[in-house]
Amino acid sequence: MEPDVLIVGAGPSGAIAAKRLAEDGFKVLVLEQGDWPDYSKATVTREDFPLTAGRDWAWDPNVRGSAGDFPVNDADSDITPLMWNGVGGGTVVYAAQWQRNMPSDFRVRTLDGVADDWPLTYEDLEPYYVRVERDFGISGLAGDTAFPPGEGPPLPPVPLGPAGRRVAKAHNDLGWHWWPAPLAIATRRYGRLNACVQRGTCLQACADGAKGTADITHWPRAIELGVELRTGAQVRELVMRPDGLVGGAIYVDADGAEHEVRAGVTILCANGVGTPRLLLMSGGTPDGIANSSGLVGKRLMMHPFGTVVGVFDEDFRAWQGPWGQYIHSLEFYETDASRGFVRGAKWGLQPTGGPFSMTAAYPWGAENEIWGEGFQDAVRGRLGHSTMWGIIAEDLPEESNRVVLDPAARDAAGAPGAKIEYRLSENSRRLVEFHQARARESLIAAGAYETVVAPFIRATGWHLLGTTLMGTDPSASVVDPTGRSHDIPNLYVFDGSVWPTSAGMNPTATIAALALRFTEQLIEARRSQEVAA
Amino acid sequence: MISEERRARLGALADQLIPAGSGMPSASQAGVAGRYLDEVLAARPDLEPALDAALASVEGLPAADALTALRADAGGWGVLTAVVPAAYFMNPAIRAAIGYPGLEARPIDPSAPPDYEDLLGSVVERGAVYRPTPD
Repeated sequence: MEPDVLIVGAGPSGAIAAKRLAEDGFKVLVLEQGDWPDYSKATVTREDFPLTAGRDWAWDPNVRGSAGDFPVNDADSDITPLMWNGVGGGTVVYAAQWQRNMPSDFRVRTLDGVADDWPLTYEDLEPYYVRVERDFGISGLAGDTAFPPGEGPPLPPVPLGPAGRRVAKAHNDLGWHWWPAPLAIATRRYGRLNACVQRGTCLQACADGAKGTADITHWPRAIELGVELRTGAQVRELVMRPDGLVGGAIYVDADGAEHEVRAGVTILCANGVGTPRLLLMSGGTPDGIANSSGLVGKRLMMHPFGTVVGVFDEDFRAWQGPWGQYIHSLEFYETDASRGFVRGAKWGLQPTGGPFSMTAAYPWGAENEIWGEGFQDAVRGRLGHSTMWGIIAEDLPEESNRVVLDPAARDAAGAPGAKIEYRLSENSRRLVEFHQARARESLIAAGAYETVVAPFIRATGWHLLGTTLMGTDPSASVVDPTGRSHDIPNLYVFDGSVWPTSAGMNPTATIAALALRFTEQLIEARRSQEVAA
Repeated sequence: MISEERRARLGALADQLIPAGSGMPSASQAGVAGRYLDEVLAARPDLEPALDAALASVEGLPAADALTALRADAGGWGVLTAVVPAAYFMNPAIRAAIGYPGLEARPIDPSAPPDYEDLLGSVVERGAVYRPTPD
């Protein structure tokens, strides 16, 4: 029997859609190009872990080169896109910083006169935020003054720890916002999640099973409910039918064999690079499918990233902790035109890692290198005694920042790679510069005797957004406010590709809430949904 | 395999990066070109060709000049500054000397009082810091 719904991609949005559809009795098939995460490689107690993590848990598909990865040409991009192609998607290696967007993020045009409003509001999404926070085992504290009042996450926040307390006190003195960090880190045993032991390796997969990742929080239950998940399935194209509906997909399995699968409805959840790539690879023309607006692949947003480190006399034992973040600050998130730019950024206070990290060019900068005389004292000075603000800066959508196909490179299935064309705008540069300067003031106020503004590096494109714009006008957007293609009535996009603007937040919370909302809208409209029979 | 000669070269270069100091040994004294290099390359055999090539590229140069030359070679500098500190910190005596126990389990005590409550008052007092959805 053919599935009712085909989903491409088993990351958070695909997992949420698959599980929710199965709960309502839909027959769901999911194609995932990668594999399940192999946690036996999260050898966190071994001394060589800093070395093997860089290979086994690399964020850059070109570095990782796993079977499920497709080549990404970033030669013409100021930022290198990063992703995890496998069951759980980006959640496997994310820092678990679970940030809702703020109300203004949905009204950028109205409030700041730039870019576009979203076709929904914070209030529309709020009930879904609450639900996905339960589903992912989120920790944190209700009442954050940067958000409208409402229900908070199910678990208490991680401890601030000595570094978090010190900076929180400084922000109180400065009159600046901070709040205990919202995280997809289980502070207590919760569902299938273990309690966090603060080992500090969130970014290289959690060996302790305490991070809210879709491979743990969603997939086991989805499979119990009957979802069929095929891994190692690289989708080469979506199949268009003469009646204008999408009939399913052609994929190549790990042994190189080609298969065609058919489904009534197809949903893409392949991330902000993979989703437009697949649309552009389909239909047999250079424009691909679902592209009457000409916007597929355009308006890519990746969040310029800044880091500012502070070194203190106090020993925070900060080579580990929730990583994660101890606290966040949204003091400078909202637009203040007098700063010379619009929009803002979220700050998350983090540990700085073990001794190996103390010698690295990032975040410490070439000018602060510690080689030569005094090496040991410099390591002792930084190790455990430092903390850093990670700054997620909003970048505005521009059609020249885009994903196109790269026919010069092919994946294992013979399909073209993706090429990224992305340039930082003047607004982004000013924004990052301003926020780094304020973050430095924060750490100095907290008593740092040395601060380091990290050099700009390219390998920070964790967040891939905007490449199949969601909107109400079919001539000026790719999908409608339910995630459905304006052109193809049984084709949907449920991942971060649909974002009209990028906000200045880690995006998984909003990707998840949107995916749940989209899925329930699809279920609700099931009677009127056109399907490829 | 990295030859003995190249190991000796690595030791000399590594000592430029990590000389003895503050009561701690230099890189070569700590086994960076010996046992701990073996451990690093056992974990990451893929680094060996790049390391070998970097060492070959500066053969015959005095250590300080070799280091200067490698700085101009991003690949060579990258592999050298990855392997040397990794091997140095692989040595348990070095980790002990800098007070680093490795990544430990530090369970969160569910019965401990929250460590944020005494600090939140002034944040709450300031009130909302967001712009609400406009009508």
